[in-house]
Amino acid sequence: MKENLVLEGYGITLRRLTSDKIEVVRQWRNDPKIQQYMVYRQEITPEMQKKWFDKINNDNNFYFIIEYQGKEIGLVNIKDIDYENKCGEDGIFIYDESLLNSDVSIRVSLLMRKFVFETLDLEYEYGRVLKENIRAIKFNLYMGAKIDDSHSDKDCIFVKRTKQDYSSFLLINKSLVKTLSK
Amino acid sequence: MNTDKFINLFAETIEVESSGLTLETKFRELEEWSSISIMLLIAMFDSEFNKEISTEDIKQCNTINDLYKFATK
Repeated sequence: MKENLVLEGYGITLRRLTSDKIEVVRQWRNDPKIQQYMVYRQEITPEMQKKWFDKINNDNNFYFIIEYQGKEIGLVNIKDIDYENKCGEDGIFIYDESLLNSDVSIRVSLLMRKFVFETLDLEYEYGRVLKENIRAIKFNLYMGAKIDDSHSDKDCIFVKRTKQDYSSFLLINKSLVKTLSK
Repeated sequence: MNTDKFINLFAETIEVESSGLTLETKFRELEEWSSISIMLLIAMFDSEFNKEISTEDIKQCNTINDLYKFATK
């Protein structure tokens, strides 16, 4: 397992989560402004966080700290990777409020999709979004994902993005990709 | 393109009602403004004006008029 994995592109650096960073992630995750958008909304203790990290610190899960302009601003992941069926579950949160509704989430998404579909060579990824988080649902759809009606839940919408959806997005949004690549 | 047409195009692009918009509208303060709006504006400048607008250029703009000036300069 490559612990010090670093991804760079679109003006973003993603550093694989290491044990020395799990406390800052716990604090972000417990903040009500982030917690409100999470499916799991209970307070996370340091012990729970350590246990969680031990469980995800392997090559079936890639969690990255997002760095933008030298500042750590959030967390992005592909988790529960099934290499046989070539799929995994994605997730993201931006902690820094000044960067919400900016281009940063697009930059992170593009870099992460590149890792998921080009480096890991997965065929599809899926995600769960709370039904009331309309902005996140719209964001997923604009970034090429589709609503997955084969799953249902009273609180969440399920979305799925295939490698083909990603390729089509890049093709349709050439000008966007070009400007964010600079 | 005149300013009215530009306001309508902007409204259509980022999916807001054009009736409440003026050149002085600070677009980032619109309830509908999101990351997606940036993607849509970049695409709009490319397809409608054959112009490349960067995210930095968008950051420099505050009002719809600033965008209009960029589109028509």
